[in-house]
Amino acid sequence: MITPELARFIESGISVLVGTRDARLRPDCVRAAGVRADAAAGTLTVFLPAATAERALANLADNGRIAVTVTRAIDHRSLQIKGGVVEVRPSSPDEQSFIERYLELLAVDWGHVGVPRKSTRSMNAWPAYTVHLRAETLFEQTPGPDAGQRLTPEAAAQSHRAGAR
Amino acid sequence: MKIRLEDLQACFQGVIPATMATADAEGEPNVTYISQVYYVDPSHVALSCQFFNKTRRNVAENPYAAVDLWDPRTFELYRLELRFDHLETAGPLFDTMAARIQVIASHSGMKGIFRLLSADVYEVLSLRRVAEFVDPLASPPAEPADWDPESPSHPPPDQLSELRGLQAISGRIARAHDLEELLATTLAGLDELFTFGHSMVLVPDDRECRLVAIASRGYGAEGVGGEIAIGDGVMGIAAAERRMIRVAGVGTEIRYGRTIRERFADREGRRDLAPEIPLPGLPDARAQLALPLLAGDRLVGVLGFESRDPLAFDEWDEAFLQIVANQIAMGIDRMQEDEEEAAPAVPARPALEAPAECDRKLRFVYFRNDETIFLGDEYLVRNVPAKIFWKILNQHQREGRTEFSNRELRMDPSLGLPGYKDNLESRLILLRKRLAEKCPWVRMVPVRRGRFALEIESAVELIERDSA
Repeated sequence: MITPELARFIESGISVLVGTRDARLRPDCVRAAGVRADAAAGTLTVFLPAATAERALANLADNGRIAVTVTRAIDHRSLQIKGGVVEVRPSSPDEQSFIERYLELLAVDWGHVGVPRKSTRSMNAWPAYTVHLRAETLFEQTPGPDAGQRLTPEAAAQSHRAGAR
Repeated sequence: MKIRLEDLQACFQGVIPATMATADAEGEPNVTYISQVYYVDPSHVALSCQFFNKTRRNVAENPYAAVDLWDPRTFELYRLELRFDHLETAGPLFDTMAARIQVIASHSGMKGIFRLLSADVYEVLSLRRVAEFVDPLASPPAEPADWDPESPSHPPPDQLSELRGLQAISGRIARAHDLEELLATTLAGLDELFTFGHSMVLVPDDRECRLVAIASRGYGAEGVGGEIAIGDGVMGIAAAERRMIRVAGVGTEIRYGRTIRERFADREGRRDLAPEIPLPGLPDARAQLALPLLAGDRLVGVLGFESRDPLAFDEWDEAFLQIVANQIAMGIDRMQEDEEEAAPAVPARPALEAPAECDRKLRFVYFRNDETIFLGDEYLVRNVPAKIFWKILNQHQREGRTEFSNRELRMDPSLGLPGYKDNLESRLILLRKRLAEKCPWVRMVPVRRGRFALEIESAVELIERDSA
């Protein structure tokens, strides 16, 4: 499902949004504090800040359905991964340093489009929860005529090369 | 304190993109960025629909949505719960949102391809500030000046000083002797009294297909003479639509447009994409405001402002500058009326003769097919200003005339000026400024209202050709 090339794009220190919904199908969105991709296992790990993810965590406990959109700020290249949650647990100290590195990379990506580093780094990201999910489907999310189209992993890797542009 | 939707104006500027989650009827969530959320009224917002995407299909099945908005000054997060209410494909809301989409489309060469399909109106079910989003131990929230320390925002508004400032500008407009003075003193006043440091006035050309800048402030000498097609960019669309347009986060909008353009080009190999159009004015502008200058139902020009601060313009600026724009429009209209030929207030000045020993020779070439004048190999001016210049140069050379009146130019059918409200004043300003920039040896010096002298400090050769 996730090629190594795609995993590099997902992990390149870019914006991560998480969508969930409750039992009445009321949606919620929250900004994640980083994502890891395991190409071989076809899984993702997203880190949700405890400060802002209360509803998302409740939704995941209820039904486990999750959407993750990664977006590179400089050119809006975006990909959405949908799947089911396998595990939710408090993040470990190791993962805290991963989140720290992620926020530094995000500050660089957002710095390219004029967001001051100070703003990006003011995000309240710790403590966090680690959400482990199985990726089921991939969607093109870059703004344009194809946004929302389902992608094969090969096509996705093609248009989301980590170093592209 | 309860937060009201109308307090979130800074979030509605689109500087930081909002995020939105929806879910389909089966309960599959979807999450995406949205370029801008529009404030409609205290309990409604609108989102623009350019493509029938997954979000749009989801709300058709399940009308609930969650939207996160960020305040670009403080980075504070506001969370909205929404329910889809209805969509609009015409009317004032649709037109306002469509104009903004048109700005993106025109800058990225996608006019007619990338356009607003509908304004989707949502009811706001709840609104709360997510205070925990920003770490209380992190450095204090960014101030707006963070966006550009070079360009401070306006001083805090004080109603009396605002009113006095407006009074001063209104006075300058009322007292101006000619159009050039009117525009220069007004733009200077807006800069000095209200810190609008980058401004311009553009007027439609004779074929009403392009706008030409005849006055500017904060752009140096290059500002005057700049052109943009009516219908292109913020200024061109304000003219075409006769509607005020404000765009914040210009860089974001252009990147967004560029991404969509690439997707069209990549996937469909479209050949109908026009070249990308560079922004007029500041290359690094992050906010633009354009106001049409209307006299009755005629468009007499566009008043444009730019800033490097993405939050430089808000609703106050729109309302305030609309008053100024109306005054400028009336001023331009007044100047365009046929002047009374007043008795000479000052004796006509003797014109400078070309010094006999001067070895400089100016070679002007007029191309009849496109009504263009070149000085040597360099383009000088075209259309009506070119025809005026050619007429007076010829009369100077053949008859030795040095003084000319606006009235005789108006009466000359060969110049092609319309019989009523002819824009002659703005044509003369443009010609005078082009000469000052490209050919300082030839000057058109006002001698009194409605008359000017032609001063030539060089030998002149006039050549007329059918085409280049």
